[in-house]
Amino acid sequence: MDFGFILINALVLACIYGTLAIGISITWSSVGLINLSYGFIFAASGYGAWLCAQYISTFGAVVLMAGILTGALMGLLVCALAFIPIHDKPSFTVRGMIATLAINLIGTQTLMWYFGPRAKSLPEIFGSWKIHLGHIVLTADKIGNIVASIVVVTLVLQWMRSSRRGLEIRAMMMNPHAAAIVGIGVRSTGFYVMAITGGLAGLAAVLLSQTYYISPFGGLTPMIKGVSIALCGGLGSVRGAAIAAVLLGLNEAITSVALGGQYVLITQFAFIILILLVRPRGIAGILDKAREA
Amino acid sequence: MTGKREILNVKGLSAGYGPMRVIHDLDFIVYSGERVGLVGLNGHGKSTLFYAIAGLTGWQRGSVCLNGVEVGRTRSQGPGRYTHLIVRQGLALIPQGDEIFHGLSVEDHLDSGAFTPRAWRERAERKKRILEIFPPLVKLMHVAVGRLSGGERRMVSIGRGLMAEASLFLVDEPSLGLAPKIGKGVMDALMSVDLGGSAMVIAEQNVALLEGRVHRIISMHVGKLKGEASAKFGFETTREL
Amino acid sequence: MTNSWRNPLYLWDVKDAVEELPTIDYVSPQEVWDRTRSSDAVMLPVGRLRYYYKWSGHGAALWNRLRYWPTRRRVLNIRGEYNPKTLRSEKTIVDKRPIWWLLGLLALALAPLFVPADLQNTLLTAGATFGIYAAINLCWMLIIGTAGIYSLATYAVVGVSAFGTAYLSIQYGIPWYGLPFIGAMIGLLSGLIIAIPATRLDGFYYALLTLGLNELCRVYAQQSRLFGSSTGGLYGADSYIPQSWDQHSQSLLAYYACFVLMIMALCLYRLINGRRIGRILRMAPEKREAFAEATGVDYRRARIFVFVISSIGLGFIGGFYTAHFRGVAFSIFSFDTVLLGLAMLVIGGLGRAEGAVVGTAIVILLDKILISMGPVRLLLIGVIMLGVVLFLREGLFGVKAQFRAWRDKKKSERRSTRAVKGGEMLPEEVTETKNKDLSYWRRYDKMQRDYLRTLISSELIEEHQRSPLGQHSEPLERLLLYFRRAPMADKYAIAVVEPFKAYRIVALSGHRGVAPRVVEDRIYGSQNEAYHGVFLRRVQDLLES
Repeated sequence: MDFGFILINALVLACIYGTLAIGISITWSSVGLINLSYGFIFAASGYGAWLCAQYISTFGAVVLMAGILTGALMGLLVCALAFIPIHDKPSFTVRGMIATLAINLIGTQTLMWYFGPRAKSLPEIFGSWKIHLGHIVLTADKIGNIVASIVVVTLVLQWMRSSRRGLEIRAMMMNPHAAAIVGIGVRSTGFYVMAITGGLAGLAAVLLSQTYYISPFGGLTPMIKGVSIALCGGLGSVRGAAIAAVLLGLNEAITSVALGGQYVLITQFAFIILILLVRPRGIAGILDKAREA
Repeated sequence: MTGKREILNVKGLSAGYGPMRVIHDLDFIVYSGERVGLVGLNGHGKSTLFYAIAGLTGWQRGSVCLNGVEVGRTRSQGPGRYTHLIVRQGLALIPQGDEIFHGLSVEDHLDSGAFTPRAWRERAERKKRILEIFPPLVKLMHVAVGRLSGGERRMVSIGRGLMAEASLFLVDEPSLGLAPKIGKGVMDALMSVDLGGSAMVIAEQNVALLEGRVHRIISMHVGKLKGEASAKFGFETTREL
Repeated sequence: MTNSWRNPLYLWDVKDAVEELPTIDYVSPQEVWDRTRSSDAVMLPVGRLRYYYKWSGHGAALWNRLRYWPTRRRVLNIRGEYNPKTLRSEKTIVDKRPIWWLLGLLALALAPLFVPADLQNTLLTAGATFGIYAAINLCWMLIIGTAGIYSLATYAVVGVSAFGTAYLSIQYGIPWYGLPFIGAMIGLLSGLIIAIPATRLDGFYYALLTLGLNELCRVYAQQSRLFGSSTGGLYGADSYIPQSWDQHSQSLLAYYACFVLMIMALCLYRLINGRRIGRILRMAPEKREAFAEATGVDYRRARIFVFVISSIGLGFIGGFYTAHFRGVAFSIFSFDTVLLGLAMLVIGGLGRAEGAVVGTAIVILLDKILISMGPVRLLLIGVIMLGVVLFLREGLFGVKAQFRAWRDKKKSERRSTRAVKGGEMLPEEVTETKNKDLSYWRRYDKMQRDYLRTLISSELIEEHQRSPLGQHSEPLERLLLYFRRAPMADKYAIAVVEPFKAYRIVALSGHRGVAPRVVEDRIYGSQNEAYHGVFLRRVQDLLES
């Protein structure tokens, strides 16, 4: 095992999990929902991409788009089920979290019921070329993964920073009541946010399926990783999530070289707990007054 | 503008929260180009009237016509459910206290007021106009609002309201909690706004700030309006010495 | 009304007096009076009486109350009182929950006797599983409901302790009665470890972290050869169920053992939630910790204490789990187990013991009875959970309270929208005012002013200008009577500047010794002019009020 290879691997995973974590972070900070049905959205968009590859086209971009669209659609579904009915009811955060868990249970069981427990694999969407960089070999899927996730996340963030909808989402993060007075519809913004974050999950699902298989319960581990990265970076902070993704990716690489693969999770959680003990609101720490959790 | 156009027509409006009824069968008309002062003590329903117009009260009953469009609702469907739609009809509510987005910069904040597509396209011009009204904000454009002082926040809040392409501005207690001098400055700024075809209602406890600077003053007492009838018999509204 | 006015002076042969004069139109006050008095609003009774059965005898009799050791509590909360009408003594059971608990537990204890023979095995196994899961959920409820720590690592603690005891039992041959106690030790250790982050993190951060810890346990156990990654679990531990017994006796023993376990968990719940520490924690719900701290409650310590105690309980259950199933499978760490457990809590309602037990019963029944349906049953459970979360605030046991709150809200809203009265005094003013007559007087006064306002017309003002004193038409007379009745404070008066030449209007102060204040600069040339000036002022005030 050489270190460069593992580092690249860790970077790829960091990109993908970082995409998920940023999705979770945005959801939490703008609509106040901890979306634990991400595992289901992830698995469902994997299946969406697989169906597309099976029946429509195996062309890379089409499959990727199919995954993202399925993810966005599932995000809308989760929003309609878990956000719209209860977002103005008491103890929304707890109930929202439990509702997304219930959706996760229902969704994964439906997938299991419909597609069966056998894992599916997607075609290689980035082709099969490679680049030699010194003695490190960069395969197409790795470069594709890194580039695709960074590009999409940057686009989303840029869009949030500059457009009217983005301003809407950011305003709603800060003060939902004032947002209503300004003329921002909480419900419609919720749909936007959930569609975007669902799309991010779909992207991550397709990208990750280049390395792993698609299965009904395959979304769980990525979700847990995404959640822990988001947690470590500070819920609601995109910058924190990005930093945490890189840190945890590095940790993964170093641990698997120094101690062995099965200790990765243990060191990861030790690391997260350590960070949270020092700064209870993650690396970036949520902006003081952004949203009282 | 030729002739007076009804911007807001409130008929038989009652509103309240749960078992409490704050506003009692209120009739209230605001014409275009008008500045109206709404005076009343604490707890007599000024803010609730504004909230009822914006659909933010617990329950309400009666008709609220904004630019000829009925925006009132009879059943209680949870406060704030339709507020954003009412705001898009041309209402700018500048609420009491600080309803601001702490983390956004002043510039973003002003942008967030320009919600309708047209206002969004013209937001650079509108911002320039706001900055003429509130010159102190020029230097603070990129500072997060959470760091501003109370007076500056109020300016941002009012500026946000004025950014909107609204036909009715409801300003709730612009001088509340501010030092008298700053409060007066804020009021001066409000008076200097060119209304054009729109109208403005300013709720205020301090009558002295409004005296002689608005077209009419309505006082509010226990959820009802007072003092609109005297014009009929040609009494000059002289105030006592 | 009539548009003519009969001059009373005519009968006395006053000069120039006519018998009848045309007069200005006037509306009868009767109409206003009737309108104000009548109300088409349905006045439904306010509030609600709750019906309690009244037992005879005196519940407050101090001498023969049944109290149970070691507390000084009574079994039932009974209120004793004398019926004010019949003067007979009677008792009311205020809280009937102990009776329901007793009946329910009795039914569970006697259930095996009434189970149909062909379903006996399934139901007894389901019952045993129910007992274990109910015990786990009760401990979890202590953590979530009482301590307010959103931990999702409960099954992880049970699993760790179960794996630990199974390993020890297989390797070192520890007998079954030792397993729960060793499990409790393991539970204590893991509870202490998991509790460290709970001191700093709040709510959801902790939930997400523990979710991760659960996953960590699963992955670790699955990968390590020590815990039997090849066999899907660790089996072969010592069990309390003798192998030599027949099938029926075995399941019966298992059933009752698990039942006892559940009773023990209930006792733990009662012991913690019902006593001082539970009270302390109830003072410090989420988001109000600062207040609790200000009143001197060390809620952090109490929370951690409850967490650790429940972890010990969970460890004990883990040891029992091993002894019951002769081992443990990885599935205890799986995400679905956590989800099902959460579904049990949520369906029953967070924060109450009966919620945990009944929720567990519902989910286990669905899970075990519909086992032939495959994954669809989990789907069904998920749908129920989603429905409960979306529509019920506090689970099934909160339905009653939620319905009442909803009904009261709707009722009060409708009542206040219907109400046609009010608006003369602020609600808080009414409650503050000692003299309740005052609010009625204000209403009457308002009605009167509303009526008098309709009378004012330019003819009436003209009439007063013609002759401020003397006989007037009825509307003007009514108006003047009202004006004359005004209280002294701020009442208008005429001050003579120079007799027969100059008069001005002043307002009385209403206090002896305080001079009236001048109202306006205007000087009136004659007395009648001044009278009319005062009249105009009053009319203006009336119109503006």
